[in-house]
Amino acid sequence: MLGVDVGGTFTDVVSVRDGRIEVTKVASDPADPAAPVLAGARRLGLDGATVFNHASTMGLNAVITRTLPKVAFLTTEGHRDILDRGRIWRPPARQSDTSWRRSFGDVARPLVPRYLRRGISERLLADGSLRLPLDEEQARGQLGVLKRCEVEGVAVCLLNAYVDPVHELQLRELVQETLGGDVAVSISSETSPLAKEYARASTTVVDVFMKLIFTGYAHALDEGLREAGFAGELNFADCAATLLPWDEALEKPFRIVFAGPAAGTRSGAHLGEALGDRNLVCCDVGGTSTDVSLVVDGAPFVDNTFELEHDLVINALSTEISSVGAGGGSIVSISHSGDVVVGPGSAGSDPGPACYGRGGARPTVTDAALLMGILDPDAFAGGALRLDELRAHEAFESLDTPLAFEERVGFAFRIAAANIAEEVTNVILRRGGDPRDFTLLAYGAAGPMLLPAALDLLHVRRVVVPPHPGNFSALGLLSSDLVYYDSRSAYVPLFPESAPRIEAVFEEMERGLSRRAGREGEVRRSFDGRLFGQSWETPFVQVPDGPIDVAVLVERFHETYERRYGNRFPYIPVQGVSYRVELRVPSEKIGFAPCEPGGVAAPPRTIELRHFGAEPIEAAEYERSALPAGARVAGPAVIREGLATTLVAPGQTAEVGSLGELVIEAAA
Amino acid sequence: MIRDLSPAEFDQRYGCDRFTATVLTNRFGYVVEHMCARLLTSAFSPILRDFYDFAATITGPPAVGWPTPAMSASIVLFTGTMADSVRNSVEEYGVDRLGPGDVIVANDPYRNGTHVNDLLFVRPVFHEGELAGFVNMKAHQLDMGGVVPAGFSIAKKNVYENGLVLSPRALYRGGEPVPDTWSLIFDNVRFGEILAPDMLSIVAELELGERLLAETIERYGAAAVHGAMAYACDAAAERMTAALEAVPDGTWVGEDLIDCDAAGDDEEYRVRVTVTKRGGRAEVDFSGTSRQARTCINATPLDAKTTVGIAFKYLFDPEGWFTSGAMRAVDLVIPEGTVVSALPPDGAVFAYWEQSQVMLSAVLRALAQGVGEAAIAGDRGSADIHSATGVRPDGSPWISAAQVGGEIGAYGGNRHGDADTQMLSYQANGIGVAVESVESEVPVVVLRHEPLPDTAGAGYNRGGASMLRDTLWLAPAQHHLMSLRYKRAPGFGVHGGGDGATGGIWITEDGDETHVAGMDEGVYRYPYRRPFWETGPGAMLRYVTAAGGGWGDPFEREPERVLRDVRDGYVTVAGAARDYGVVVTGDPEQDPEGIAVDREATERLRSAR
Amino acid sequence: MTHTFPRPGERHLSVERRSVAGACPECGAEQLAEYRVLGDGGWFDVRKCQACLASVSREPAPPFGSYLPLGLRIAREQRT
Repeated sequence: MLGVDVGGTFTDVVSVRDGRIEVTKVASDPADPAAPVLAGARRLGLDGATVFNHASTMGLNAVITRTLPKVAFLTTEGHRDILDRGRIWRPPARQSDTSWRRSFGDVARPLVPRYLRRGISERLLADGSLRLPLDEEQARGQLGVLKRCEVEGVAVCLLNAYVDPVHELQLRELVQETLGGDVAVSISSETSPLAKEYARASTTVVDVFMKLIFTGYAHALDEGLREAGFAGELNFADCAATLLPWDEALEKPFRIVFAGPAAGTRSGAHLGEALGDRNLVCCDVGGTSTDVSLVVDGAPFVDNTFELEHDLVINALSTEISSVGAGGGSIVSISHSGDVVVGPGSAGSDPGPACYGRGGARPTVTDAALLMGILDPDAFAGGALRLDELRAHEAFESLDTPLAFEERVGFAFRIAAANIAEEVTNVILRRGGDPRDFTLLAYGAAGPMLLPAALDLLHVRRVVVPPHPGNFSALGLLSSDLVYYDSRSAYVPLFPESAPRIEAVFEEMERGLSRRAGREGEVRRSFDGRLFGQSWETPFVQVPDGPIDVAVLVERFHETYERRYGNRFPYIPVQGVSYRVELRVPSEKIGFAPCEPGGVAAPPRTIELRHFGAEPIEAAEYERSALPAGARVAGPAVIREGLATTLVAPGQTAEVGSLGELVIEAAA
Repeated sequence: MIRDLSPAEFDQRYGCDRFTATVLTNRFGYVVEHMCARLLTSAFSPILRDFYDFAATITGPPAVGWPTPAMSASIVLFTGTMADSVRNSVEEYGVDRLGPGDVIVANDPYRNGTHVNDLLFVRPVFHEGELAGFVNMKAHQLDMGGVVPAGFSIAKKNVYENGLVLSPRALYRGGEPVPDTWSLIFDNVRFGEILAPDMLSIVAELELGERLLAETIERYGAAAVHGAMAYACDAAAERMTAALEAVPDGTWVGEDLIDCDAAGDDEEYRVRVTVTKRGGRAEVDFSGTSRQARTCINATPLDAKTTVGIAFKYLFDPEGWFTSGAMRAVDLVIPEGTVVSALPPDGAVFAYWEQSQVMLSAVLRALAQGVGEAAIAGDRGSADIHSATGVRPDGSPWISAAQVGGEIGAYGGNRHGDADTQMLSYQANGIGVAVESVESEVPVVVLRHEPLPDTAGAGYNRGGASMLRDTLWLAPAQHHLMSLRYKRAPGFGVHGGGDGATGGIWITEDGDETHVAGMDEGVYRYPYRRPFWETGPGAMLRYVTAAGGGWGDPFEREPERVLRDVRDGYVTVAGAARDYGVVVTGDPEQDPEGIAVDREATERLRSAR
Repeated sequence: MTHTFPRPGERHLSVERRSVAGACPECGAEQLAEYRVLGDGGWFDVRKCQACLASVSREPAPPFGSYLPLGLRIAREQRT
């Protein structure tokens, strides 16, 4: 099996064959994105591979850089500005920042400029009744304008179309008649028939973009793989890193707009299952930021929406990921009052930290780790890059502060760790959890180096560095099931007489899913509901198999509400809002090879760590591959492997677990 | 300057080293954010979850002078009130009476600012038997009694109509609930079964905050924690002073007004401020402000402190958590008995936020004369909240609160660019409600909701436009209005920019249009000539919000940006020529990509000004 | 014992600053005045230089400025 993660700069390809993991990295090519993927795949070999699982940031990158095809938006007359409005709110932390603008608003960078958003004379009401029939003459007039503007795609989202698609279907015919069959069209009642017009509209717009971006690419990829001898299944990962067969993904491609970090969480859940650890906080520390996500009760914490930018919401199931502006490339600066500040600015990969020697002059966290002796200048990123200590030194020297040199370096490293620790705590608390119930999984190139240093601030149970921390995210692509899914909305009070209506909604979706999947699988129903008087929904209330029993749904709702938010309101009636069905087909997954137990670890080399305190300290240096299961390493120590270095701070111990994972705990 | 302190001096002054001070400053901010994060998930009420109508702070103990080193990024309207109200409440209750596990509550606006619905919760934190600080939350409660359910009316005439007033008292003592206090509250408020879980959640968040602060003290020691509190406040004070020093000295006057109160349109209410800036200090004097209004549109001095703090933070120190130190460089001078310093029992305070809007306008107008390019144009100036109630054919009541009136409106332009049109207001933030959600609950159809062309204050960077919203009411309805700023454009222009348009409200029924509120050919249409507006089925309600002001000379605006506005319908061809001196040719409606700037004609028009 | 604060008769209200003799220790200007302010730490009766805004003295004023709740007043006056 193979997994490929197409990033903005690099494309990572992972192959697992007979338990052996092989990885290769190729430069991404925005002009011909399929070519590097195929090159990487050929390099690792496709013979006998059963699955080829694909994730990419292509969709998200296209949106956030606004490298987008010209698309129009049609909606009910008088409402074309729902796309400028969003859900109104500003990020709370930016309330006193007068430079803030809604990133997708008309005065910033709208996805569809206002003149390509056109109103259509028609109106359905919330109960599906007809207020105003669709005025075909008027619609043709508007489509004439779009034809003159030569749009490549059209997104249609009419008010209350989630109740009845009749006008959207009619309008789609008019669009195809006027603009031709080649134009990409998505209608909201098919793409995402959920209530609340803004998210449905933006979902439909993003869907059209993704059709234009992914359709040709996916066909080229499939064809190329077949030519290279691949006979298995090509699957695309969605925003929750569940897998969709590629042709199914193309039906509603908004779902695959972004799938990188979610794979890491999926990988965490998969490893957690093997380790018997069901509550994890997953921290992927990269060059510019740290992605924090949760595995709760064995499953990734998934949300029913995804935000591409602040409040640019689409109705895609997505793993909830919080990003902190602290990573290896985070820039160290001095505040007005003389504080050492880490981030949010980053040196990125180009020019990168000063020690990369590519022209970066400002000090970064990686520079600090190098000066502290944690990183080996000759063995960074598997020896791909030699780090220049002199430049790191100069960068820290250049800071305008009376602080002594060793303090600048030591503070920078510890503040980076503290920033991540605070955000990790916030993510857990926001989800109603208690950090003391969680294991922290540290991965990404800089995770194993930074996170153990934050252990004493975190109050988590322990820190675990998984096997292959540098490729851990990509391995998540080989840790998931195939899932076909569908959802729709109907505001239905959960009273006993509502059962037939709810049953009908589920059955209709299930018929469609089995038709699309054409195979057997496990069917799971769930719904999003709310307490009367609330404006938001509580998602993913599981619906038991068998005929709908409303009393059970209500009870399940209260249980879910309590688990998610910590309270229970049994005396307030519940309203069903959206209903969801998934058909799960098991797919081949990676297994974690047991690590051989062994005796005492090989005698380590001794190195010097600096800037932890006033004096340098001696630390043991280990090769991770030489550590057998059961081996215990007392800090201070560093454990090296190809793409990562684990720091075991003074006062901590690391123990090698049965699957080769490193378990780091504060010494008792 | 703090940054120049030697390590020894720093330790001496703040009881810890620089690294610890940095980490602890950050910690304080996160402790309040953690408390809010949890309340946001556990609260029942939309006003907390969708509108962040709450805040959390940390306060140092009396022995170190009650510093407030961190205030959550939630509602800005509580910003200036928290430091004073925590100190005042604890002192009135009695510092000596406090023990571990206590929670003090209070809500009197004349003591604490804002309004009675905002209940302040204070929990002392002890360390080794000593009072080591406080964690606090203030949060809007759905109801506090009074004559109007939920309180949202501007017609209440005194404290008796307004609701229950709680002087500081114990809600918990030693971890045990105090029945007298719980009963006092729940014997007097409506919707108790919804209030109770919100209040219990708040108490749980206080416990979390207490635990986090106590752990921090345990780990770093009380001296370091208290030193870092002082450090956080000193650093904020220094940033403000330095920012003020960078502005030329001066004395500037700004004023703005509220049209009327609900007792009559015979009196306008003016807020006047004189801002004096000398070196790194400033003073804001409210002399010349109108006496208090006869209905509950008044505010209190702590609300004035909030607004001045926000204006200064916007202009001079936009980053980071708000601390009590930010106001060290600024004094307020406030006459008693004004609309911003009303007194009981007749100076009723409920819609304090409308007064905060006017104060902000006055302060920003004054500062615009001194800060040059940094000036900020006025926003739409009001929350323009509408509510409607009625009864369905089956006899069940319905209510629409703050959903389909003028709640969404424009910001003003500033040096960073054009302003967004669809926001709340400068001092409010929240999640807007979906049309489909409203229509599924209330017998209303939103016919249109869109910006009006040529309304935005013109400028090199323009303001946001007026938002028009037409709603069709399918059933009989009573409409309650809270619109107070339609006489004069609240969206003032700055730095050479133009004012935004004014707003208004209309009702059309059986073909007859009534101008409910706003200016009608020089005549003010007073919206409170009726206590509420009744409509029958099929009536249409129109709201037009005021627009935001422009920043900078509109004739300097690049013609391409004007062209884009014409193409997008924010500016008409005629408006482009009149307001921007840009001549656009073509038909923006039918051939939006075919329109163009006539360079020569533009040149002529612009040079002829 | 009144506890009501009647609505002021004047339409607009002002704070009076009482000029006092003396020079500002910071800038030397002989422009000192006394009045009440609300600042960091609450209400203060201040003596301030009107030229440079330096405070010559800041005496804590009652916690709610001019407002004294009747209940607190009774409690204070009845205290033995």
